[in-house]
Amino acid sequence: MEQLAATGDTWGVPGPTFLIFYVALIVLVAIVAAAHRRALFAGDRTAQVDRLGPQQIAYLNGGDQLALYASLGGLRAAEAIASATDKTLSQAGPLPSGATALDTAVYNAAGNRIRAREVRADRWVAAALEQLRTGLEQAGLVVTADRQKAARRWALAGLALILLGVARLVDGLQNGKPVTFLLFAIFLAVAVTLRFWRHKPQRTRAATKGLSSVRGNYDYLSPAQSPSYATYGASGAAMGVALFGTASLYTMDPAFAAEAEVQRNNVGGGFDGGSGSSCSSGSSCGGGGGCGGGGCGG
Amino acid sequence: MAVAADAAAADAAADVTTAYGVGIGWRPEIAGFVAGLPGLRFAEVVAESVHAHGDLPPGLQELLDRGVTVIPHGVRLSLGGAEPVDPERVAHFAAVAERLHAPLISEHIAFVRAGGVEAGHLLPLPRSYAAVDAVVANVERLRAATPVPIALEPIAAVFDWPDDELDEASFLTEILDRSGALLLLDVANVYANARNRGTDPLELIDKLPLDRVAYVHVAGGADHDGIYHDTHTDAVPQPVLDLVTALCERHRPPALMLERDGDYPPARTLSDELDAIAAASGYPAVT
Repeated sequence: MEQLAATGDTWGVPGPTFLIFYVALIVLVAIVAAAHRRALFAGDRTAQVDRLGPQQIAYLNGGDQLALYASLGGLRAAEAIASATDKTLSQAGPLPSGATALDTAVYNAAGNRIRAREVRADRWVAAALEQLRTGLEQAGLVVTADRQKAARRWALAGLALILLGVARLVDGLQNGKPVTFLLFAIFLAVAVTLRFWRHKPQRTRAATKGLSSVRGNYDYLSPAQSPSYATYGASGAAMGVALFGTASLYTMDPAFAAEAEVQRNNVGGGFDGGSGSSCSSGSSCGGGGGCGGGGCGG
Repeated sequence: MAVAADAAAADAAADVTTAYGVGIGWRPEIAGFVAGLPGLRFAEVVAESVHAHGDLPPGLQELLDRGVTVIPHGVRLSLGGAEPVDPERVAHFAAVAERLHAPLISEHIAFVRAGGVEAGHLLPLPRSYAAVDAVVANVERLRAATPVPIALEPIAAVFDWPDDELDEASFLTEILDRSGALLLLDVANVYANARNRGTDPLELIDKLPLDRVAYVHVAGGADHDGIYHDTHTDAVPQPVLDLVTALCERHRPPALMLERDGDYPPARTLSDELDAIAAASGYPAVT
């Protein structure tokens, strides 16, 4: 019986032996790939994220779109741009001093009365966003396209493992061999491969770490605090959008945000809504928004 | 020996006096602005907005870490209510004071609820001996819960009750004398009351025990239909700053603070208001 089984081994290798080597190979590839990818995504740990401007922070936090929203928020807070009910933008005042290349491009695009959601397609805006990205790549904060590609190549190794497993599965089935464990091992290879294919972080680990500390420095801009954007000014408004997403734009100027067709909650992570400051109005007027009429009195 | 001890105590008191100077009401909306004031030594926070045991609102902990004194200011205790203060509210207030390591707490001489109905506003008390009794009894209940001194703030009122037995100064002095509390003087209230009644604000100030003033509120207001409203959402008018100067010429309180509760202006304007209070009181600028 045993001899019969031995001669019938698929590819001349006994099932358990193949399984051990196959799983070991998957684990080995996973470990080597993880180490390599970790190095690819590390970024520059000495990069100072806290020195970045709101649009750069926004780019790290939510890519092109959020950088654009941070610019729109800053320009809106500076009263340089306005929106109309037909959802087009317009220039409402002079370009503020300290405007970035992206601000200038967005401001000029607004002068053409285009819709906010079309601003990104404007060639000067696109060029400014590209410039923003390149700067962040050079600073080791955004993962370059080359590194993304190199990291993704590990999915090919994963694919080879899957093909090997499937080939063995097909031949094994034809030989009438049990394949349950092999099936599990193939699932493992698929999971590893999918992870390599899908996980393509835009920002480096250095950027993620820096962002979380910057978010702590600016926690007063969190929408949960109902920050006074008039007090913090245009750069505060832009930084609020950069760190806490478009909820900040809706808090600051809901009419503008709606007319500019700003997507709600386009930043998933990083926003801690329940920070414990929501239990009271925080005003000394006796609560309940009772400031009107007879004055606060206290 | 006793003389030396007295002198040392006086020096210590003088140190405290020079230490606090100009402060600001901490509000979540302007937490970033308050955090950026380099010379800030004290701030006030609405007691009801602070969790007694959970995390402090972002920014407040940083102030404490910096050594800024934070005074909890109650707005919902209803010390002037005829019924005893709610023990739960008292316990919360005391816990917040401890949480903030506050050397002092403050509340209003007012009531915000009666018979279970919430007014949503600070309402003035009739200036009667019965009202004095009620406030003193409630201060006593608060005092039993916390070891730190209590400062009481009279409120602005656009009307007087018809059955007032005491004038404002004797009403306040009576409460302070009998309760042993300190005074939180709101010069904007004094100004508003005097202006709306056509009297001289200094008349009241000259009758108050100024050595009992723990600190001073300075706030803005606006005219509506001939009545001056203490809004806390407008700029501090010059007459209020003049009143600060007049007060400080008589007896400079250890601390004065800007109280702003909404419609917050640009940081620059807030800084200017703080500087104006510093200039009016003779304390160093905190901006």
